[in-house]
Amino acid sequence: MATEITPTGGKRLAIAAEALYLANLLVLPLLAFLLLWWLYSRQGASAPPLAAAHLQQSVVASLWAGLLLIPLPLLTLILSGGSLTGWTVAILWFVTCHAALVLAGALGLARAMAGKPWRYPLIGGGKS
Amino acid sequence: MKYQSQLVAKPYFIAAIGLFIGQIIFGLIMGLQYVIGDFLFPEIPFNVARMVHTNLLIVWLLFGFMGSAYYMIPEESETELYSPKLALALFWIFLVAGALTIVGYLAVPYARLAEMTGNDLLPTMGREFLEQPTITKIGIVVVCLGFLFNLGMTVLKGRKTSVSLVLMTGLVGLALLFLFSFYNPTNLVLDKFFWWYVVHLWVEGVWELILGAILAFVLIKTTGVDREVIEKWLYVIIAMTLITGILGTGHHYYWIGAPEYWQLIGSVFSALEPIPFFMMTVFAFNMVNKRRRDHPNRAAVLWALGTAVMAFLGAGVWGFLHTLAPVNFYTHGSQITAAHGHMAFYGAYVMIVLTMISYTMPMMRGRAAANSLKSQVVEMWAFWLMTVSMVFITLFLTGAGILQVYLQRYSDAPQAFMVVQEKVELFYWMREYAGLVFLTGLLLYVVSFFIGGKEHAEQRA
Repeated sequence: MATEITPTGGKRLAIAAEALYLANLLVLPLLAFLLLWWLYSRQGASAPPLAAAHLQQSVVASLWAGLLLIPLPLLTLILSGGSLTGWTVAILWFVTCHAALVLAGALGLARAMAGKPWRYPLIGGGKS
Repeated sequence: MKYQSQLVAKPYFIAAIGLFIGQIIFGLIMGLQYVIGDFLFPEIPFNVARMVHTNLLIVWLLFGFMGSAYYMIPEESETELYSPKLALALFWIFLVAGALTIVGYLAVPYARLAEMTGNDLLPTMGREFLEQPTITKIGIVVVCLGFLFNLGMTVLKGRKTSVSLVLMTGLVGLALLFLFSFYNPTNLVLDKFFWWYVVHLWVEGVWELILGAILAFVLIKTTGVDREVIEKWLYVIIAMTLITGILGTGHHYYWIGAPEYWQLIGSVFSALEPIPFFMMTVFAFNMVNKRRRDHPNRAAVLWALGTAVMAFLGAGVWGFLHTLAPVNFYTHGSQITAAHGHMAFYGAYVMIVLTMISYTMPMMRGRAAANSLKSQVVEMWAFWLMTVSMVFITLFLTGAGILQVYLQRYSDAPQAFMVVQEKVELFYWMREYAGLVFLTGLLLYVVSFFIGGKEHAEQRA
């Protein structure tokens, strides 16, 4: 693993961003996202680089999570006519996707706690 | 390696890997019997293959835990092991007793084995995972007593650390809870209670303490992060483990004839059970992110991080999937349980033992810290093959489980068990192919230890 020299300012805000991303997925869906969005719109531009990166990544990943976890399984069910295969695919998709998103969030939280930046794999866009 | 007596861990680890290979072979046999019902019948009936598969798992994990403890305790206590000779004697007793038990399972019908071993004098046989003849169980107790005595005396004469304290608590708990396997009441509800005191309080209780201690030890050694930081995490993790895990036992009481309030208690506390696993993931990655050096044994670090991730997925996520009482009403004892069992055991316990083997074996074989880069590359291939194939095994079993639950228990016209089994055959075939990939990974893991070359050096001080 390569050595990284990273900004450590804004660690608390970075941790809060990742924690809210996880809370949105685990305990307070939507409400935690609204809080995250509020934090992002209020502090995203002026935050230290570390916090700004985590805030931006958490918001983008939350939006992707919403897309992957709600409309896509619903579409699968509708297109399959509610068949058994449709349910099996939709449940498997939801469980796997949700677990992967939570896992990515856990890694993001660990990075934030260590004062390092984090880019969500696949859904995080360009380098933060 | 700091202390010569740590070497007693080596035979334990070698036996563990040997038995692990046996476990996987029996798993593959059983997987094939799911789709070709008379495969190897009557030589190895399904129930026997299953018993050997699960019992070998438990025995090799115990070998792994014992080996890990024999390696860790002298180093943590900063003193030689109290009695390496006792450790080696107990190794042979345990290995011979374990091997004879497996031969007994395969050579004679189970009822005959019970008769031959005097089960009628103190009946303890016939319960899942605790099928061992009473005489073997007594042997396990003797081995555990000797093992704990040896470790306890070592700890007493040396330095006391939080890691060794947590490890010893886990091991003492393991031994004490096993004593419940000797109580076999005729009342089935009562019997289930005591059975779960062994099975659940092992894997969702004291074994997690052992897991936490081993993970903490490996992270201290490989990351160079202050012991105090790691120990604080360890305390919080084990506290959460016990807070959620003990009352989480209630998720096994839903349908056994226990009072209804267990459905609420079991649901609430077992819904919290993913928390310590989640914390373990954050803990492991946080420590690696804060590392003060790049340890040359990259394979061991990969195993440690993999343990945290897979334990969270298998034990945490897949456990939560079917732990709430209203969900469990339908999913109880289906292939969803099998999916959870496979990934949880692999993620939490198989991987932590392999982490420890990966970390210690190079040193026990005379190297300073790590195998050659070539050897580590092969080992990391083994890691990915085993881990990815286990993810697929879990997904295929989950798919089979969802179909099974719907067709057999939820639909308007529920179908018979065996009819449904035929309908989910495709998933079983795919699971079997994934199992073959897993075996390939395991064999590669063994091969990696025989690849020579110059030792991989530390990259950054």
